[in-house]
Amino acid sequence: MSTAAPEVVDARTETAEQAIDHRETIWGKAVYKLRRDRLGMIGLGVVLLYFVMAVGVWLGLWATEWGDVEGPKWAPMSSEYWFGTNIIGQDIFQRTIYSTKTAFEVGLVVAVLSTIIGAILGALAGFFSGTWIDEIILWLKGVLDSIPFYLFVAAVAFALSGNPYAMHIAMVSTFWTTTGRLVRGEVIKLKNFEFVEAARAIGVPQVTIIFRHILPNTFHILLVQATIVFVAAIKSEVILSFLGLGVQDGVSWGLMISESTQEVLAGFFNNFLWASVFLFGLVMAFNMFSDALQDALDPRKVASE
Amino acid sequence: MEVLQYAIRKLIGGIPLILGVTFISFLLMVYFGPDKTYELLGKNPTEEQIAEIRHELGYDKPFLVRYGEYLKEMATLDFGASDSTGEPVSKILGRTVPISLALITPGFVLGNVLGILLALIAAYHRSGFIDKFIMGFSVVGMSISFLIVVIGFQIIFSSSYGLNAFPVRGWNVNSFPDYLRYITVPTLATVFVALGYNTRFYRAVLVEEMTRDHVRTAKAFGTRPGKLLYKNILKNSLIPIITRIMFSIPLVVVSGSLIIESYFGIPGIGKITFDAITTGDQPILKAVVGLTAVLFVVTLLVTDILYRVVDPRVSLK
Repeated sequence: MSTAAPEVVDARTETAEQAIDHRETIWGKAVYKLRRDRLGMIGLGVVLLYFVMAVGVWLGLWATEWGDVEGPKWAPMSSEYWFGTNIIGQDIFQRTIYSTKTAFEVGLVVAVLSTIIGAILGALAGFFSGTWIDEIILWLKGVLDSIPFYLFVAAVAFALSGNPYAMHIAMVSTFWTTTGRLVRGEVIKLKNFEFVEAARAIGVPQVTIIFRHILPNTFHILLVQATIVFVAAIKSEVILSFLGLGVQDGVSWGLMISESTQEVLAGFFNNFLWASVFLFGLVMAFNMFSDALQDALDPRKVASE
Repeated sequence: MEVLQYAIRKLIGGIPLILGVTFISFLLMVYFGPDKTYELLGKNPTEEQIAEIRHELGYDKPFLVRYGEYLKEMATLDFGASDSTGEPVSKILGRTVPISLALITPGFVLGNVLGILLALIAAYHRSGFIDKFIMGFSVVGMSISFLIVVIGFQIIFSSSYGLNAFPVRGWNVNSFPDYLRYITVPTLATVFVALGYNTRFYRAVLVEEMTRDHVRTAKAFGTRPGKLLYKNILKNSLIPIITRIMFSIPLVVVSGSLIIESYFGIPGIGKITFDAITTGDQPILKAVVGLTAVLFVVTLLVTDILYRVVDPRVSLK
């Protein structure tokens, strides 16, 4: 996605010294590339905007009346009800804004937890590749990948009988596998490097080698994977809420859209329209940012441009 | 002969996977799943009646015994009859699987074929306007939720607010024109969403192949663009393409159609399975889960053999 042409111009206008400063480390290079990726920066800006909205909801600054049943049924858009009201007279604008918080909650919980699990299991499998530890982790990964996702979530939801975090648990337990696979591959590569050998030679314990010396070097993979999982979690929430397995208390874009399936056939589109627009905006912005991040952090992509 | 030997070895190697999938699914769906005891009983049941029903459903046996019985059922392919309707499971599967296949095959094929075509066009015009346009479209496709596309397309094509040309829901197929009428909207929705992910993936694969030396050489020798794209680039990137297509087959067959089936009210395998989970219809669940696991192992095997077909350098060791 990144445009090659403006970068070249920018690099030329800068003095050689500055350019070298930026390009010393992978992170310096990444920030330098990222800041020049216009689409990526727009994406990041939009995501931050959503984040401010979510924090505001969390602090109780706005959208506090999302559950009130006061308005008329299916009011059109007006200065009082910006986005209209739904079938029982709730303000769609407030519900849409409140759902931003729900989306970030789901996205962050699932992204952080599944990245941590993927990192730990992937690092263990990679470091002990070829042993029984690796075999077991690979087997677990294969098993989880082979169970159809929506059926797995449904099963977890019913096994936990109505636990509000059933959805999160199901997503975390399936989404770590891709991260795990990528980290495993990287760790297999890294464990033969000299710094690992050096650490072993001076008697650093194995656990410290894995988690202090090797794992930090896979951080760029973890970061990109976390953004991808974040998007996947938000999108899955919509489908799961439609199936009745998603958010249990509160409101989310997914719940609004599944509510709207009855309304659209009667000609009331506000619920569907606004939940879709806000969901699309966040996912699109996050995808753009995630793309830019991948471009900035993946050395192979730099080479192929 | 070599292929046959390899197939047998591979199938035996797949047993731990099948055991794992069935074990976890059994634990979740059957052992911790919904309890049907009180649904089958009348009002005010006595202790004996409860015990009797529990015995009939097999709830009173230890976990490992029940799991062992399940494995035996799987080996003999005899899953009994549905708890809810009393219909034999094999009959239910025979009825629903063809519907699901008929429903998703056109979308699946079109989504992949068009994806590869668009990716070829985009890769050929890399960094040009056409490439940017196609990739922009694919990011949009990736960012829209499938559910939004389904509802949106339904409004556009099937409701009185749009074209009103296709049935809103249901599955009443007696002839080929009927079939086309019922699958049009679901297929369009599937293709729209699949194109986003597929085009992106295939473009990345093709671009990687395009930067290889042999492509540059072929270009220097004056190979025509069409031949270059087909023979030098597409054929050489078949391995990742096959991997992607093959691995999505088991998931598409079982759960890929779930959303479409439940939204459009089509009685396919996804819907039946989902209902079985929510009502605790164990015989159906056992059959579907077991068959999915077997399908996965078979897919792994077929994929490996296909690798060999498209690239003779791959050895089946």
